[in-house]
Amino acid sequence: MTARLVLAWALVGIPLAYGLYKAIETAANLFAS
Amino acid sequence: MTGISTPGFLARERTIAAPGFNRWLIPPAALCVHLCIGQAYATSVYKVSLTDRFDTGATQVGFIFSIAIVMLGLSAAVAGKWVDHGGPRRAMFTAACFWAAGFLVGALGISTGQLWLVYLGYGFIGGIGLGIGYISPVSTLIKWFPDRPGLATGLAIMGFGGGALIASPLSAELLARFDSGFDPTNVESVASGSAVASLFVTLGIIYFAFMMFGAFTVRVPADDWLPAGFDPEKVKQRALITTADVSANNAVKTRQFWLLWVVLFCNVTAGIGLLEQAAPAIQDFFRDTEGGTTAVAAAAAGGFVGVLSLFNMAGRFVWSSTSDVIGRKPIYVIYLGGGMILYFLVATVGDTSTALFVLLTAIILSFYGGGFATVPAYLRDLFGTYEVGAIHGRLLTAWSAAGVVGPYIVNGFLDAQGEPGTLTSAAYQPAFFTMVGVLAVGFLANLAIRPVAERFHEPSDPTEKVTA
Repeated sequence: MTARLVLAWALVGIPLAYGLYKAIETAANLFAS
Repeated sequence: MTGISTPGFLARERTIAAPGFNRWLIPPAALCVHLCIGQAYATSVYKVSLTDRFDTGATQVGFIFSIAIVMLGLSAAVAGKWVDHGGPRRAMFTAACFWAAGFLVGALGISTGQLWLVYLGYGFIGGIGLGIGYISPVSTLIKWFPDRPGLATGLAIMGFGGGALIASPLSAELLARFDSGFDPTNVESVASGSAVASLFVTLGIIYFAFMMFGAFTVRVPADDWLPAGFDPEKVKQRALITTADVSANNAVKTRQFWLLWVVLFCNVTAGIGLLEQAAPAIQDFFRDTEGGTTAVAAAAAGGFVGVLSLFNMAGRFVWSSTSDVIGRKPIYVIYLGGGMILYFLVATVGDTSTALFVLLTAIILSFYGGGFATVPAYLRDLFGTYEVGAIHGRLLTAWSAAGVVGPYIVNGFLDAQGEPGTLTSAAYQPAFFTMVGVLAVGFLANLAIRPVAERFHEPSDPTEKVTA
């Protein structure tokens, strides 16, 4: 059950982390100038 | 719809969790669906490519996404009972089929140059997947987390916002792979139509696989299951929380349903109005008084949209979880009352500093996201768990209506003030003061919500309940 839990959260967590990173990267443009 | 026979592997009975099942597997199963359908708000990446491909205007291309959002509201309203009674696996499986088929039919339309096929595919078929997918995990999450329904639904509905954050950069990167001449870092660069068709096929396959994982991971709790240490009687002590059940058909006959419809409509109208106009708004607020140059560059305005997206997503989880502690009615007092104050401040002193403007609008967007994520738990409190997914589906028509009214209010006032690119902060005051009024209506509607009268409750004997 623990392995399934880790797999399930990794499956949604990794893409979400990618999306968050890219959004923060874009948001950083607001403070770049 | 309920007369359609269901294959055995999708049947609700086959998804009842065995003893010892860990309920924390349910939020990622729900996220598998919401992260995928959240793509609906990441369509700007290829919008210009589609106008080029079909040699048409932005309005005709925008119509694809309008159909999808209208179908979201309609299918959630119509299929809600079917979703509730058939269980989450059948609903997620169906949503995955519609959502993926929508992309594939849409890709065919792009390849063959037939816009109507894109309307049918992404708009109509995909929109049905959106609606069924959006409500598919809601009642299951509420049943697994009776002690923290706001946190559970907040996690899933946060995924809808997160889906857009993932799909935008992912689509740009995939388009660059399919079209070597496309540069996603250059705003002037436009991907070819064949690259968008390939993107649709790829997204359709990825999303189908992802949503299937959710469908086959999700389980429903046994009827007598309760989390360890949870006492329903303690929850009932709060005035607005019921342990009785109200059917979807009866719910729409209650004053509470329509008051909550108004609450959601007003909260979404205020948020969408700002979200739609975010990038030009920040540039206009810091334009010189003659309507000439702006102090905010286009890249920084894009960054502002990114900040709003992050607060929209975070608000869904943070505020909805907070509602488990302070209660649903008080949290909407904060969303709507706080929103009124913030909108007033943006309109009156928002142009004094960029940091202040960003802070005020970001909090407004966090309330917008929070309003979406908290509403399923509010419905659970008022109407019980029996057909909460179906009631939620019917309430989402408020979203569809707000999606039309919010941009109409802002664009209508701005059009009367002058040409885009020449507006200043003063031009936004009529629209933003109107939003204060809209939020005030929602605020009063929320205050008027009382417990549902007993005559609307289902009989306590489950065998007497009308099953669809």
